[in-house]
Amino acid sequence: MKKVLSIGLVRGVLGQIVGTAVGIGLLTGIRALMGLGWKAEPAAVLGAFFGVFGFLIAVGSVSDWWKWAKGEETIEAEDFKDLPGVKRYYGVSLDHKVIGIQYGITSLILMAVGGTFALIFRTELAASGKQFLDFDLFNTLIGMHGMVLIISILLGIAAMSNYLVPLLIGAKDMAFPRLNAFGFWISVPGSLVLLSAIFVGGFDTGWTGYPPLSLRAPLGMQMFFVGVFFNGWSSILGALNLIATILKMRAKGMNMFRMPIFVWAVLATSIIALTATQLIGLSFQLVMFERLFGMPFFDATKGGNPILFQHLFWFYSHPAVYVFILPGLGIISELLPVFVRKPLFGYKWVAMSSMGIALTGFLVWGHHMFTAGIEEYLRVPFMYSTLLVAVPTGVKFFSWVATLWQGRIRFPVPMLFVLGGIVVFLLGGLTGPPNGTVSTDLHLHDTYFVVGHFHDTMFGGYIFPLFAAIYYWYPKITGRKLNDTLGKLHFYLMTPSFLVMTFGQMYIGMLGMRRRIADYDPAQGFDTSHLIITIAGFLIALSILFLFINLIRSAKHGEVAEGNIWESRSPEWTLLPSPAPAHNYDQDFRVVGDPYDYGLAGSRYIEPVLRPVGDD
Amino acid sequence: MEKPHIKDMRRILIASANPLYGKGLEKLLTQKAGGILPDIRIASTMAETLAMLEEWKPDLVIVDYDDRTIDRGQFLNQFIAGDRAMQVMLVSLKASGTAVVYDRRTLSPDQTQDWLQLPIESQPSQGSVHPRRSEGMKHFIIVAVLVAVSTVLVNLLLQNIGLLPVEASTQATIIDRLFNTHFLVISFLFSLIVVFLVYSLVVFRRRKEDAQQEGKFFKGSTRLEVLWTILPLGTVIYFSYLGSLSLAETRRVDPQALEVKVIGRQWSWTFEYPEFGIVSDTLQLPVNRQVLLKMTSEDVIHSFWVPEFRVKQDLLPGENLVKELRITPTIIGSYKVRCAELCGTLHAYMESPVVVVSDVDFQAWVDEEVKLLNADPATRGERVSKQNGCLACHSVDGTRLVGPSWLGLYESQRELADGTTVVADDAYLLNSIIKPNAHVVAGYPPGVMPQSYVDSLSDTQLSDIIAFIKTLK
Repeated sequence: MKKVLSIGLVRGVLGQIVGTAVGIGLLTGIRALMGLGWKAEPAAVLGAFFGVFGFLIAVGSVSDWWKWAKGEETIEAEDFKDLPGVKRYYGVSLDHKVIGIQYGITSLILMAVGGTFALIFRTELAASGKQFLDFDLFNTLIGMHGMVLIISILLGIAAMSNYLVPLLIGAKDMAFPRLNAFGFWISVPGSLVLLSAIFVGGFDTGWTGYPPLSLRAPLGMQMFFVGVFFNGWSSILGALNLIATILKMRAKGMNMFRMPIFVWAVLATSIIALTATQLIGLSFQLVMFERLFGMPFFDATKGGNPILFQHLFWFYSHPAVYVFILPGLGIISELLPVFVRKPLFGYKWVAMSSMGIALTGFLVWGHHMFTAGIEEYLRVPFMYSTLLVAVPTGVKFFSWVATLWQGRIRFPVPMLFVLGGIVVFLLGGLTGPPNGTVSTDLHLHDTYFVVGHFHDTMFGGYIFPLFAAIYYWYPKITGRKLNDTLGKLHFYLMTPSFLVMTFGQMYIGMLGMRRRIADYDPAQGFDTSHLIITIAGFLIALSILFLFINLIRSAKHGEVAEGNIWESRSPEWTLLPSPAPAHNYDQDFRVVGDPYDYGLAGSRYIEPVLRPVGDD
Repeated sequence: MEKPHIKDMRRILIASANPLYGKGLEKLLTQKAGGILPDIRIASTMAETLAMLEEWKPDLVIVDYDDRTIDRGQFLNQFIAGDRAMQVMLVSLKASGTAVVYDRRTLSPDQTQDWLQLPIESQPSQGSVHPRRSEGMKHFIIVAVLVAVSTVLVNLLLQNIGLLPVEASTQATIIDRLFNTHFLVISFLFSLIVVFLVYSLVVFRRRKEDAQQEGKFFKGSTRLEVLWTILPLGTVIYFSYLGSLSLAETRRVDPQALEVKVIGRQWSWTFEYPEFGIVSDTLQLPVNRQVLLKMTSEDVIHSFWVPEFRVKQDLLPGENLVKELRITPTIIGSYKVRCAELCGTLHAYMESPVVVVSDVDFQAWVDEEVKLLNADPATRGERVSKQNGCLACHSVDGTRLVGPSWLGLYESQRELADGTTVVADDAYLLNSIIKPNAHVVAGYPPGVMPQSYVDSLSDTQLSDIIAFIKTLK
């Protein structure tokens, strides 16, 4: 028993259960004292909040701060020692690499869960007519698919940023190691609360949670709001930490324009996450309060306005899309030069285009509301700002193509995913403008065209680059390479299946297939297309299963990776052994050149700084 | 090694004792530089050259290859010592203008030897720019042709696989025109990127024989970056302008428009024609006449969409949030309006027929509906009974169906299942419709009749049905 309790995760879950019980008991007790009876919804919401706090206390993520508050000493983060073996991943660690892996594994688990939801409702949609899913469950599943995968993406980005940024900029750790750990651990109970929505009635609004529908939805709606709320904390705190780390902890000589390009992308992403996430938290909180306390924010009959919610919601949720894709595009720009053996074309322009996308991303939220009934005159300026996003995005594409031009291109598995990412994201980008011009969007809005477009941007901008990053840095994490054959199988199965799936979705969408419907009219003739989409969806799942098998198998049996296996110029490959040791570089380095001068004989990016003799 | 772009060089130092060499080169550079003039200085002695190198820090030094007053050994020592980016170009007038370029950071010992010994014939091969450039041009021309071919093919494909439903309204025609422009631009940009990408993957892939060779070193071009920022910027602004025109056209107002009020609720549609006082569950529209839909919702957000008409508009709850949509149907036929905004459990099934008819047929439909409106309550009641499925279970000719027949029902004695007897007066009939299980007639099972009529039928409709029953004697 003691052994089990020594595992932080187990303690945390128990803490969450206890906390939830306390929360429910407290509210019910207060109501009883006031002479009121049992009411499920406020009890459940307070329980969910207390449960999250219970988890955080029990897992030990706040104990150092508690000690500080009491005036006790704690160890310095740089003296922190991880537990041996895999045990380190089950409890609170202050090591950015361990936290990165914790984020990564949680993200992959949620990816599997969210993907499974999709497989379930895709099976229902394989033919017209009702097969096996009850409509309310169908609606819950589409909403959960969306939100669980959004959380998965946010955690996946946090995984990449946490693991890579300190390594790439030559820092020993993140700026605030305890905040870093807290940011991860709050997402775990948050995600558990989110998943619990299925078991307390679900919700029928989709991931967007528009009122007034979300005001009438079952209790699951509240769990959805609370779960997202806490994951938002994780996102904000992580972004804060990354910005501080990037601005203050770079190696000597690494001025902003000598940073690895991925770090630029993380900086742009973090600026959005830090400043916009509050808005989705706020919008969900307002609905939560309208349900709990009857504050009529969105009730038109009492002076509220349902459109207000959509403004608040999309003010985050559109920039959020750029939070999802910018790090992935950064990975593409980061890995391309390594495999092309040539400098990244127009480094400064690529770096600035990330900032450009981040900035314009804040000005375009209205394009989600072209049919919603916003003021007519607002639609035109939003159309202009929306299409402007094409400019910095175009800079990225042109620069990638120019980087490939006259290179000596190599094709290991990570490069395959990089190239797949470019093509798929291109499709996502090109199918954007028809949604951006108002009159064509009047046709496309809320159809499967949007579904196809969105999945193209998410796969091209996140999933493909994430997989590229996994194949590329897995040896740095484990000291062993992922199996090449399985990797190629993964790529060559997933890419065509994915293209078939989204082309199918966009095709039926243009012809009149609405989003989020549990059944469709056979008279519209979409049966065959839907069947093909479903089969393609299952093939994607199968290919990702290959990845999971590869990840688990190669950790023990993979080929040992020694030295700079990709012939990269980056410090984590040139200076560090694999797996990367705790606290990273035991010797400082300084930057003496540009990061991607592949093909410039004799040039160097970094050189070790020799410690003066006697200074020890 | 890449020939330095004169335009990227801000400060150029020319080292030559020959004044004609310096002046001539300066003139040439100024002409070539176009808009932004580089800062050019001329040094005519060794000492001057070294001093300038140290203090003025040029980006590029052009050394007269044939001039012996510039001591190469001394110059080289100075040149390789610094860590600032600097390039040197050896230009020989005697060897018909051949030039060799070195970067200070990558100068190899071999190149140093070459330079010091002045072997004009044995210039490093990468110094010669011309063959490279023509090879680059060859690649560009092939790719340009492929991009053009691919653009045509992709566009042809998009135009011909039938991506859009029938164009059944004026608005659809306007919108499809913009769609076609989109298809063209998509075809071009797709081809541009993908052809370049695939061509690079094939032609510039690593081959076995040069496994360790790196790619051609070039880091960027401000001119290109500016070009592919400005051109797309212009394009998207123009496209937004086209989009605005298209939107304005779809919203063109016809003052003669037929007004229809659209009401959405979970999960059905109702259409009211205030001009005629008609209420219908089918949207009947005359062809080629604009209809102005004024839309509102009774509960949550819904969205009005007939794919064949293209345009879409959400319906919001709230009296102050009535939204408008204008459609001019152009093809006679039957369509369906389907809710496009997730509205709860039966969202998928929230649909109603939309029928576009000729003017004559529309007038006939209106006349028929109005006649019924003005008809006596009993006639209206008969229609309501038919529309709501009453007559599926209650016969009007005395036949026993699922429920009791309505023939001779009014003011008759009813024996109930609990043994009591009541007279079927107005109150009894009303109560039996809205609370079907309150008084079940003996011999009929309870719980069969839907209990939803209390919500779905208006008071007028209820009294009309009762009026109809009264006529069945």
